[in-house]
Amino acid sequence: MINHRDRNAQRIAALDERAEALRLKPGMGIADARAMHPSIDIVEADPLADLRLLDSLADWCDRYTPLVALDGIDGLFLDITGCTHLFGGEHAMLDEILARFFHQGFDVRAGIASTAGAAWAAARFRDRCIVELGEEEALLAPLPLAALRLEPEIRSSLESVGLRTVGAVLAAPRAPLVRRFGVALLLRIDQALGRQDEAVSPRLPVAPLSVERHLAEPVILIDDIERLVFLLATALKTDLERRGEGARAVALLLFRVDGVVSRLVVGTSRSMREPRLILRLFQEKLTAIAEDFDAGYGFDLVRLAILATAPFDMHQADLADATEDGEEDLALFADRIRARLGEASVLKPVNVESHLPERAVAVIPYWQDAPQRISPPKKPAGPRGLPSAVPFQPERPIRLFQVPEPVEVPASEIPDGPPLQFRWRRALHRVAKVEGPERIAAEWWRQEEPTRDYFRIEDTDGRRYWLYRQGFYDASKPPPRWFMHGVFA
Amino acid sequence: MAMNAVARDTVFALRRQIAKIEGTLSERLDAPAGSGPDADRMLVRRSGVAESHGLLVTGADHFDAALNGGLPKAALTELHGAETRDAGTVAGFALALACLLLKKTETPAPILWVGTTEIFREAGFPYARGLEAGFGIAPESLLYAEAPKTTDALWIAEEGAGLTALSAVVLELRGNPERLDLTATRRLHRRAQMAGRPVFLLRQAALAEPTAAPVRLVVAPAPATPRNTMAGPLDGTIGRPGIAVTIGKSRAAQPGQFTLEWNPDERTFLDRRHAGAIHQRPWDIQKRAKDHVAVVPLSSSGTDPAAASRPVLAFPSPRPSPAGDQPSRPQRPAHRRA
Repeated sequence: MINHRDRNAQRIAALDERAEALRLKPGMGIADARAMHPSIDIVEADPLADLRLLDSLADWCDRYTPLVALDGIDGLFLDITGCTHLFGGEHAMLDEILARFFHQGFDVRAGIASTAGAAWAAARFRDRCIVELGEEEALLAPLPLAALRLEPEIRSSLESVGLRTVGAVLAAPRAPLVRRFGVALLLRIDQALGRQDEAVSPRLPVAPLSVERHLAEPVILIDDIERLVFLLATALKTDLERRGEGARAVALLLFRVDGVVSRLVVGTSRSMREPRLILRLFQEKLTAIAEDFDAGYGFDLVRLAILATAPFDMHQADLADATEDGEEDLALFADRIRARLGEASVLKPVNVESHLPERAVAVIPYWQDAPQRISPPKKPAGPRGLPSAVPFQPERPIRLFQVPEPVEVPASEIPDGPPLQFRWRRALHRVAKVEGPERIAAEWWRQEEPTRDYFRIEDTDGRRYWLYRQGFYDASKPPPRWFMHGVFA
Repeated sequence: MAMNAVARDTVFALRRQIAKIEGTLSERLDAPAGSGPDADRMLVRRSGVAESHGLLVTGADHFDAALNGGLPKAALTELHGAETRDAGTVAGFALALACLLLKKTETPAPILWVGTTEIFREAGFPYARGLEAGFGIAPESLLYAEAPKTTDALWIAEEGAGLTALSAVVLELRGNPERLDLTATRRLHRRAQMAGRPVFLLRQAALAEPTAAPVRLVVAPAPATPRNTMAGPLDGTIGRPGIAVTIGKSRAAQPGQFTLEWNPDERTFLDRRHAGAIHQRPWDIQKRAKDHVAVVPLSSSGTDPAAASRPVLAFPSPRPSPAGDQPSRPQRPAHRRA
């Protein structure tokens, strides 16, 4: 039995058959239930875990249709338009779904209808019921008003005037109903009867392309899965060719026999359609998760879905059939690392217009394009690709600490001058030569950051550092602090 | 003769037929045997790339001579730094070498810099602005790969080393990880040879251990030269960076220590000890090597453990710049002397 807190009272939220047999009801106070049956077992409700479970069930239902939507906290909508023939018709499909859920240990009620509203009512009030097109009214008429998915207030006010079944509401004239009970009531009726479309928004975006393979004998070995990936990718290739596109993100869905669905997604830096390459990316992904890869009793459905596509740029091979595919190699290399080590494993720097050194370079993942607003105007390239006519390039360190490290400066000769020695990472460094200061202040819209005075410092061993003093000396304030920000060659 | 002519006619007819089947001109079929050796030659050339790629000439004559002409271009090269705080110099040296490589190519291929999260946190992340200013490496030709573990970093470097689409791979590791053994370095070296690209293995704060790299250089910082102005070198300024390179291991087996100087404007190396005429004082280095006693007594407040331990040593250290050495007089900042 599961309890939950409702208006400061512990109440029963859900209960199993045995508790039902004890004549306990949802909504009953826990104290009352305990008084009746002191031996009941009470568990605190966990709505988030319920939602997770529903989500995983929805994942599992992906095997029937890509259009699965969550309905409240205890229902799922499956849009099976055009899918039934794959499972031998509506009856067979309904039976299979119910049987499979039953074997997983769920008590499920289901209904099929041409409209979402009618299906909802059929599932909740008539178990295992298939409503043919045009029979919605006959189905709904004898049902209570709850079958219309109405707000409790509307329902109670309808009941207060004696309209207790859907049939009674349907028989009533429409105009007075709208005037008295609002548009929502008629909207629900129209949706249930198919006079108005109802959009069921699926949980996941529908993949533009996907292929799947039902397996009579579940596969367990990773080698077999890889072989299947290759077969499925080969099947996808022709579709991609027809569309003139390549894949940018590919998902592999593995449906385990006991209902667990693994979803592996790989992204690509450039559009790709070669099955061999897609397989290589998944090989990396499978290697990366090899430790916690649990095949259980095996997978009986393997699906390869292309989540995102992009135009595929064709290269014509030259006559010697030796194309310059360095870029492609590089993209594949980056994709493989990404598949194995995660999204931010291959990075590229992009210059950004900013005064602050740590903001002047953004490091973004390799496959991302630099956003337009942060890329500075291109300088015309001189010979050898080096930028020509650069008027002034300030000296910048070659390595920058991700977080400037505090430095102890015991003394400097003049307050705003450079230090004579400093202690960084517990080692004392004696300053031999100094250049600076170079004053760098944040942009005007970042008022809160204090001005920094940067010094290039060479210590007695010849190491070159980039130190800065944050803020100014002022008698009324605590003395400014020094930071190590980078090292030079 | 007549038989010959008939035979040749038959051969021509057959050849024409084959050409029709193959869809090419019959002249193309003329020397089917000739394409074999040609393809062979191509193959030889391809695998021979590794050998014929030759040497990376640094431009510092004596250094090159000690290395028997230069650093091998298609190989693994180990660059050691004694301490993590030397990482800037070690990385600078590797990038200078990469810059020399890039200078020769028309279309620069990117440089891949692989490091562990640890080293990037400890020694600083490569800063693209500085690399562009000091080495002319544009941000477009830089790729970083950050790996959480040494194993992953090695894997990335190995994959990258086999790519011809990269101009160089820089692998940076700290200390002596167990995974970086003879086998791992051998794999890196072989990949570099196959691809004809250098792999620079930067090892910060690591002890020398047997690896497959043909060359091991120990890189240490050296004082920069003062900036050159119209009126001569300007005291107390930091000009071209100096890099002290010791050959730890090489095929030529000539040990040596060199102080190189990187010119960020020309993007060339100079051999400072011998090309000393360029606003450099050779006597300065010689003097520093000779008297390693502090020129100026230490300040009473600060105690430098390195300097304190010096008199205990029985033999004077041959290093030109001992850790606790005081700067020689001309190097001291102008404002301190005043």
